[in-house]
Amino acid sequence: MAHNFRSDVPIDWCPGCGDFGIVTGITQALTELDLDPNEVAVVSGIGCSGKTPHYLNIAGVHTLHGRSIPYAAGVKLSNPGLKVLVTGGDGDLLSIGAGHFVAEGRRNAGLKIILYDNEVYGLTKGQAAPTMALGMKTKSLARPNILSKINPIALALAAGYTFVARGFSFDTKQLKEIIKKAIAHEGSALIDVLQPCPTYNNINSMDWYRQRVYKLDEDKSWDPVISTNDEKAALEKYQKAYAKSLEWEERIPTGIFYQNLTIPSFTKRLDKVVPNYLKNPPAKQQIADSTGHTIVDPFNTFSEKVVEAL
Amino acid sequence: MPETDISIVIGGPQGGGIDASANMIGRAFAYSGLNVISVREFHSNIKGRHSYVHLRVRESVPRSLKYPADVLVALDPDTIFEHFEDVGPGTKIVYDSGFEKSDLTQARMIMRDTSKRIRERLEKTGHPLTVKGMLEAMKEKGGRPVGISFDEIISAVIKDSTVSRYYNTLGAAITLSLIGIPQDYIIEAIKYVFGSKENVIAPNVEVVKAAYNLLIPDVNIDDPPVKPNKVPKLMLTGNDAAALGKLMGGLRFQTYYPITPASDESAIMEEHEDIKWLEGESSTLAKGGVTVIQAEDELSAITMASGGALTGARSSTATSGPGFSLMAEAISFAGMDEIPVVITLYQRGGPSTGLPTRNGQSDLLFALNTGHGEFPRIVISSGDVEECLYDAVHSLNYAQRYQMPVIHLIDKNLANTTQLVEKVDTENMKLDKPDVYTGGPGFKRYDLETENGISKIGYFGKEIFWMTGDEHDELGHVTEDPDIRDRQMEKRFRKLETAAKEIPIEDRVQLLGAKDAEVTLVTWGSQKGIALDVAEKFTAGGTKVRILYLKMFEPFPSEFVIKVLNESKLVIDIESNMLSQAAKVIRMNTGYEIENHIIKYNGRHITEDELYEGVEKIMKGSVKKVVLKNGA
Repeated sequence: MAHNFRSDVPIDWCPGCGDFGIVTGITQALTELDLDPNEVAVVSGIGCSGKTPHYLNIAGVHTLHGRSIPYAAGVKLSNPGLKVLVTGGDGDLLSIGAGHFVAEGRRNAGLKIILYDNEVYGLTKGQAAPTMALGMKTKSLARPNILSKINPIALALAAGYTFVARGFSFDTKQLKEIIKKAIAHEGSALIDVLQPCPTYNNINSMDWYRQRVYKLDEDKSWDPVISTNDEKAALEKYQKAYAKSLEWEERIPTGIFYQNLTIPSFTKRLDKVVPNYLKNPPAKQQIADSTGHTIVDPFNTFSEKVVEAL
Repeated sequence: MPETDISIVIGGPQGGGIDASANMIGRAFAYSGLNVISVREFHSNIKGRHSYVHLRVRESVPRSLKYPADVLVALDPDTIFEHFEDVGPGTKIVYDSGFEKSDLTQARMIMRDTSKRIRERLEKTGHPLTVKGMLEAMKEKGGRPVGISFDEIISAVIKDSTVSRYYNTLGAAITLSLIGIPQDYIIEAIKYVFGSKENVIAPNVEVVKAAYNLLIPDVNIDDPPVKPNKVPKLMLTGNDAAALGKLMGGLRFQTYYPITPASDESAIMEEHEDIKWLEGESSTLAKGGVTVIQAEDELSAITMASGGALTGARSSTATSGPGFSLMAEAISFAGMDEIPVVITLYQRGGPSTGLPTRNGQSDLLFALNTGHGEFPRIVISSGDVEECLYDAVHSLNYAQRYQMPVIHLIDKNLANTTQLVEKVDTENMKLDKPDVYTGGPGFKRYDLETENGISKIGYFGKEIFWMTGDEHDELGHVTEDPDIRDRQMEKRFRKLETAAKEIPIEDRVQLLGAKDAEVTLVTWGSQKGIALDVAEKFTAGGTKVRILYLKMFEPFPSEFVIKVLNESKLVIDIESNMLSQAAKVIRMNTGYEIENHIIKYNGRHITEDELYEGVEKIMKGSVKKVVLKNGA
C-alpha cells in the first residue's frame, strides 16, 4: 500500500486557512512522486507554517523562528541523498530569517522552500509581515503599515535561487505540480505560495487572489528553463522572470518564473573538494573500527606539523 | 649544570613575518631536541600594529612562559618601545641599529594610550623619546643591547629585493646563533616555513648564513643546548589540537562563521579535508573527508551543525564570545530536542567585542547559563594543547552518549599556544556507539521509559519521527499536557545525573601535588601549566603547593571539590577574568567560598614570574586579591 504522507495529528489551523492547501499540495506531490518516505525530511520555523512537519508523515523538525533554512541545510549537507523541504512563513523566512534566505540562494544546497505568503503574522495576532505593502491596513492593524514590502520572487532571483516559482493555495493542482518539479530540481527552489489568512488579513482574501491570479504557462511561448550555457539566452530569461516578478495588484502571475539547470548544486561543489563526499557523506561514514577505536591517523593527517630532532 | 631554560620575545609589525619568525625559532629548537612552548599576541589589525611571540625553551617540557626574557628580538622600533617591562638583568636586546634614532612621536602604530605611558616612563627617567633613549633605560635595568645593521647584512647577500622582507629571518637567525643553535636547524626550519618555494628559500638561507657569520662578542649563551631526542612530535597550537581531536573523534560535519580566535580551527580542518587513515581495518570501511561549511552567520553555524546531527553525522561548530552569544537560542533548542552537537567556545577578552585578539576566561558563567529555559548541557574546559585534542574527542563522545549540547571551552591563550605533542594515544581512543533505534515503524524519539534518561536515537533518512522546540510527547509532537511536561523535563535532566555517574572523575577534576600541601591553588584553562610550574618552584623551595584543577563545570564534581577544599589550608583561586567565575561556580555548587584570588583581565597571558609573586604576596597574608599586569 502506498505510504500515507499525511500524519494522524489533527490540524489546528483556522477554518478557511490557506495552509491546508499547502499540506494537500505537499502530500499529493510526495505521493505522486512515489518517494520512499525515508528519503524526505521537512524542516519548519515558528508560526502557523511551523506546525506543518507535525501534519506530514515524514521525518520532520519544527525549529526556531527564522532558522528553518540553516537547520535544513545541515540536514541536506550531511546527508545529500535526502530531499529536504522547508515550510516557512513570510515573517519567518523574509524578516527574522532573511539573512539565511539570501545565503541559501548563494549556496544552492537543494532545499525546497515553500513560503507561506499571507502578508501577516498570524500566530501573534496579525502584525504586518514583510510581504505586506506600504500603507495597507488590515483589520488587525491599528494603523496602516509604514514599512515597504519585499518582493519574494525578485529577492530569490537576486539571491541566486535556481528555481523560482509561485503557487496559490486554492489551486492545489498547480501547486502540487510546482512542488513536484521543485523536488526534481537539483538546486534550491523557492515556491512563493499566495494564501489568505482569513482571521487577520481581510484584504488579501481567497476572492481577492482568485480575481487576479493567472498562470504564466497560459502563454505557450513561456519557457523559464535555462539548460545550456548560452549566456545571452540565459540573461534574457532572467530578465523576463524579473519583469514578471514585478506584476501585482491587477494581475498576479503564478507558475515557474525561472529555472536554471546550469548552476551546480552546493553538494556537487562540495564533492569536488571533500574526498568521497557524495559517495560517503558525513551521515554515512563509518568513523570507528569494529572495536570502536578511532581510524584517523594523527601523524599522517597532520604530517606537516611533525617535527623530529635532526 | 642547570637545565636549559631560555625565554625569548620576538616582536614586529603585524604582517611583517612574526609568525614565520617564531615558527623558524620554534622548529629549530624542536629539531635540536629541545621542547618549546610559545604564545602569539597580536592586535585586531591586518598590517602594521605591534605583534609578538613569547617563547620558552627547555629540556623538560615547558608549561608556562616567564619574564624577564633572555633575548628580546625587535624587528621594528615599536618592539623596543613596547617591551621595556620584559627586560631584566642580562636580557639581550637584538635590534636594528638603524632604529636608534626612531622617535616615539613618529611611531604611529603604537596605540595612543600605550604611547602616552611609554612617554611618561621615558620622561620620568630623563631619557630621550627615541629607541636609543629606551635602550638606555633598558640598560639601567641590566639589559644588553645588541645593535646590528639589519640592512647592511641583508643587502650584502640579497640584491634586487626589499631588505625589510628578510628582517624576520634575520631576527630568528641572530637569536638562534646567540643561543648557540647550529645553523643547520634553522635552515631546515626555513625549508619548512617556505614550503615548496625554492626561490624564496635560497635567499633566506643566505641571510641565515650571514647572520651566523657575524661576530658578536660577549653575548653568546654558554653551553649550546643541543640534545637530540629522535622522536617525531606534533607541533600544535590549541586550535590545531582541537581540530585534530575532532577528526579523530569522528567529526565529519563542521560549520563556522569567521571569528578570532576560533576560525583557525575550521581553517586547519579545511586544509585537512583529506583525512589519512590508520592501517588495518579502516581500508574496508566507508570513509570520506570532513565537510567544513562557512555559514552566513553564527545563527546559521549552530543550527546547521544541529541539522547535521539529525542525520547521524558527528557535528560541531567553533566560535568565540560574540558568536556564542548569537547561538544561545539554538543551544536551548539542542538541549530541548536532545541534539548531540558540540560547540567549541574559544574565549577571548569581552564584554562585547572587547579585546578580540586577547586572552580571557570571562565566558564560563555564560557557557553554563546560555540559552533560555532549563536544559541539561555538558561544559568541559581544556588546560593545555594535548588536552584540547583529547577533550575534543570526549566532547563528541559525551554529545552522542547523553544527547545534549556539549560546550568545550578553550581560552585564546591556549588557542594560540604552540606545544609539542609526543604521542597520541590511539589505542585507547574509543568512539561511543549511540543506542540507535532499530525497531521499525512507531519510533518514539523521546521515549519516557528510560531509567537513565537516555532514549534511543534515530536519524533523518532512517526513521520517521518528529522534533519540536515546543514541549513534546514521546513521538516528538507538540504537547502542553502538564504531566508529560513534568516527565520530559525530568527525563532530560536525568541524563545529566547519568553523565555525572559515568564520566571518570579524573576527566572532570584533578588534584595535582602533595596531599599535605600548605597551599592549594584552584584554577582552570590555560593557567594549568603556569600553576604547575609555580607549585613546583614553591615545593622545591620548601613550601608544598598543590593544584585543584577544574575541567568539567557541568555536571560539576561537587563532592570531590568540597572534600579537597575542606581539607585545604590556604586556598587561592587563579583565573583570567575579573569576577573569579570558577570560584563562583564552586560556591554555587558546594557553598564553599574561596577568599583569595589572583586574577588577570588585561588580555595578556599569565606568566610564571608574576603568578609566583602573586602567590607569595597572598601567602604573606598582606592581601587577599592580586591583579596581574604583565604583557605588552
